[in-house]
Amino acid sequence: MKTKNYFILCTAITVALVISLLYVPGLSDTVEQLILGFLATNAR
Amino acid sequence: MLRIILQVIGVIILIPVVTIVTLKLEKQGADGPSILFPGGELVSGELHSGPDPDWRFTDDVTTIELQLVNPLSSRTIFIMESDGKVYIPSGYMRSFLGRIWKDWAFQADEGDGLAVARISGVRYERKLNRIKGGDVIDGVAAKLAAKYAGGSTPEAIAAIKEAVMNGDTWIFEMAPRDGARL
Repeated sequence: MKTKNYFILCTAITVALVISLLYVPGLSDTVEQLILGFLATNAR
Repeated sequence: MLRIILQVIGVIILIPVVTIVTLKLEKQGADGPSILFPGGELVSGELHSGPDPDWRFTDDVTTIELQLVNPLSSRTIFIMESDGKVYIPSGYMRSFLGRIWKDWAFQADEGDGLAVARISGVRYERKLNRIKGGDVIDGVAAKLAAKYAGGSTPEAIAAIKEAVMNGDTWIFEMAPRDGARL
């Protein structure tokens, strides 16, 4: 993939992710639970 | 081929970084924390004044919201009452992830320790004093084990005491601020 297209892809992923986390109900809480589970397992 | 591998790695790194930054920024100015990410100043809720309550009511409280005054940020945390006083724990303190995750504990220990705790909707102005040892740990470890480790068995209590003694778990007393009435 050309660099220009790659940056467009990264930008699109970033925008989609941010909008989803901010506006999809319950998504941010679910992601938080997953991160918490990861930390509780690995932060030893 | 190498270019494609690097681009894939870039996307794999991008997704968690954007996720964490977004969640952190989303919670930063909120009235209280979420489960994992710090929130802002605790604003809502009655501000307690007068003598300390009978803290045993916290036996029925799983988590509280704790805000440091300096730096101004809040998080969700466990609470234990023992011998009429209230304590909060911070675990994983000697691990790399713990040092990042529990930065508030280092800030409280190294700073002035001034804090506000919101418990069942009521805010209490407190001062955090780290407890590193002594008999008080016995009662705190027993309550921590009973509330959060499946029961206050001798093994669970001993494990918690060892974690406190070797610095894996830090315990803070939420003491009244200087000049506050007891």
